[in-house]
Amino acid sequence: MASGAVANHLMKKHGIAAKVGIWIGEAYLPLLTGVFFFVLWEALIRLLNVPRYILPAPSAVFLEFAQHSRLIWYHTLVTANETFVGYAIAVVLGIPISIFVAFSETLQRTFYAAAVTLGMVPTIAFAPLFVVWFGFSFASKMLVVFWVCFFPILINGIFGFLSLSDELRHFSLSTGADRVTTFWKIRLPAALPQVFVGLKGAAINATVGATIAEWIGGNAGLGYYIQVATGDFNMRLALAAIIMLTALGLLLYFLVILAEMKLMPWHESQRERG
Amino acid sequence: MTDEFIRLAGVSKRYESKKGSVDAVAPVDLCINRGEFISLLGPSGCGKSTMLMMIAGLLDCTEGSIHIDGERVVKPQTNIGIVFQNLVLVDWRDILGNVMLQVEMRKLNVKDFEARARELLASVGLDGFLRHHPYELSGGMQQRTAFCRALVHDPPLVLMDEPLGALDAMTREQLRKDLEKLWMDTGKTFVFVTHDISEAVQLSDRVIIISPRPGKIDAEIIVDLPRPRDFDVMQSDEFHRYVKDISSIFMGYGVI
Amino acid sequence: MGNVDVKKKWLRGNRITVFYLTLFFILWEGGIRLFEVPMYLLPAPSGIAVKFVQNFPLILKYTWVTGLESFGGFLVSAAWGIPLSLIIAFSIFLRKTLYPFTVALQLVPKIALAPLFVTWFGFGLMPKFIIVFLLCFFPILLNAILGFTSLKKEHNDFALSTGADPLTVFRKVRLPAALPQIFVGLKWAAVNATVGATIGEWIGGDAGLGYYIQMASGDMKMDVAFAIIVMLAFLGLFLYYLVVVFEKMLVPWHVSQRSSVNGMMTMK
Repeated sequence: MASGAVANHLMKKHGIAAKVGIWIGEAYLPLLTGVFFFVLWEALIRLLNVPRYILPAPSAVFLEFAQHSRLIWYHTLVTANETFVGYAIAVVLGIPISIFVAFSETLQRTFYAAAVTLGMVPTIAFAPLFVVWFGFSFASKMLVVFWVCFFPILINGIFGFLSLSDELRHFSLSTGADRVTTFWKIRLPAALPQVFVGLKGAAINATVGATIAEWIGGNAGLGYYIQVATGDFNMRLALAAIIMLTALGLLLYFLVILAEMKLMPWHESQRERG
Repeated sequence: MTDEFIRLAGVSKRYESKKGSVDAVAPVDLCINRGEFISLLGPSGCGKSTMLMMIAGLLDCTEGSIHIDGERVVKPQTNIGIVFQNLVLVDWRDILGNVMLQVEMRKLNVKDFEARARELLASVGLDGFLRHHPYELSGGMQQRTAFCRALVHDPPLVLMDEPLGALDAMTREQLRKDLEKLWMDTGKTFVFVTHDISEAVQLSDRVIIISPRPGKIDAEIIVDLPRPRDFDVMQSDEFHRYVKDISSIFMGYGVI
Repeated sequence: MGNVDVKKKWLRGNRITVFYLTLFFILWEGGIRLFEVPMYLLPAPSGIAVKFVQNFPLILKYTWVTGLESFGGFLVSAAWGIPLSLIIAFSIFLRKTLYPFTVALQLVPKIALAPLFVTWFGFGLMPKFIIVFLLCFFPILLNAILGFTSLKKEHNDFALSTGADPLTVFRKVRLPAALPQIFVGLKWAAVNATVGATIGEWIGGDAGLGYYIQMASGDMKMDVAFAIIVMLAFLGLFLYYLVVVFEKMLVPWHVSQRSSVNGMMTMK
């Protein structure tokens, strides 16, 4: 792209200032669209007098948020708790188990086969069972999140540990290193990218898992709150809650990405180069 | 005079599948001497890599036996260095780390061998790149690192499976020089698999000609040219005659 | 469920795995009997199988309902998603304005809006259609856009060199090149459509497999619930394989290749 060449040239000549300017320049169109969209949204609602219960104006959502911020924060914290604890347990259990499985051929066959088959069943389908088993408590929601996150983490973990290229395998054999050494120095680092595929995939679905569990049997949390708000046709509140839910999901996802950058610094920079 | 190091006796490899059996390597006999630079030369699929893998102990022989230094090969050999064509280095370590991986995997003393690693890398011109990661370097530099990794622990035998195959022609020429220098400096036994005739002639003391389907050793050509085999040697009539003779053998197989 | 294809290939290629799977079920059954685990905690495979057969007529009836919801929503998503992706992919203006926007929207868990549609449309099929649509539309759209915009430079240059008109280039080069990625999105959507329908039934339904799971577990009939879940899995797989069959017809050259594990990360 010609603008790229111009950008490079400018960057070399004028340094940081030019860099920022170009960044804004690249982003201006979508940013402008976003702003334009919100303005249009607001305008249309007012002009066409769209009733509140169909679609609220951005300003109304914001106001509602400000009015009920304490309550919204409370529900956010409830869902955040369910999500983060459930996810953490899935990681703490999933990764060691996948490592364990990677060491035993028999375990691999049974466990992987079982996990893959179970993974084909939509894990969220168990949510009503969890609610019956553990009631309307925090535990049931948290366990649903755990259940939904556990399988992608486990399966991707095992898959990562199982996939070693022939060349690396032959190299390891030629060094005569024992299984533990081969695992720590080769299998583990080589598996990290795939492990993170699982971690990220699970992170994306974690908040939604919590939300759905709250719908089935809950009396607190963003999911519950959205259900109550929409039941009252209070769209402003519902949208405010959805925004918080989105933010929560993004937070978890970005935490995982942060971990990825720390644990795989080589891989990250590789991606930049791409 | 010659010190026999590796002996293949009646070695063959057969693969069984649902569609029947495939003879990858017909029974072959071969002697490799200590300190020799030997090439296994043949077209793609002729079984030369299979032979190399059997010497390395990474593949079982269907029939026959292989002895290295008097000991029979029954499992993956560890007193070797090994270099492949692709995917040799790990991307999560810099190139010094990659060479040291060999040392660490063998639980050898890191301090003792780090000097050797640096020395080897410097001898192939990589001393300014020790902290670079493989993906930051060209294919030629990566393979040079791979050679160093195969030598750092001082093995008597180095096996190479078409290590220059993925490189462009000019880089290949440069690396052949580096490889010959490494061999001359270390005095190890190098077993080198290739499909490039002039490459085999340039590098080897002996070229083992392998005919395809199934792999058979048809001829051994002793290359009596002065070392180092620089540009002048490669332009000489003798060199061209070796290449011509070997080429006609392969033309006889119908592979050229 | 990003790597369904990869997992399936691994399973198919291993008959010994089937043996171990059987072993797993035997251990499960044995464990329940040995420790006398009550049915409402964890049902035994035998119990599940029995209940499956016993309740089959109802299961089948509800499968039809959920299947209709899933498939309907899926079809509508595809019918809207793919043409829209064409428009976005081929309009530079739209690509710069609308596309980043749709990517941003993908970050929003649209399924969270599900209760809203139940409030608006009640307990019938309509809200489920919409929920499934919400779930499937964006992955289909985004993957299709990705497919249409990732034509390899060499292929594009070749097409230009032939001097063919844009429509011919589209039919003979762009479209076939985009199909594999389009199907990545379609396959993901096919699997998750049933999940969407199920969730819709939980929020407000009186029929369907999701509704049935809720009823059964509420009655502590966990063995029935497990049986229904098995059926739900089959339904999802069935829809998935429908798409796969379709893919085999339209993209015969590609199916033998493993589909990328990193394909396109999508969110609910």
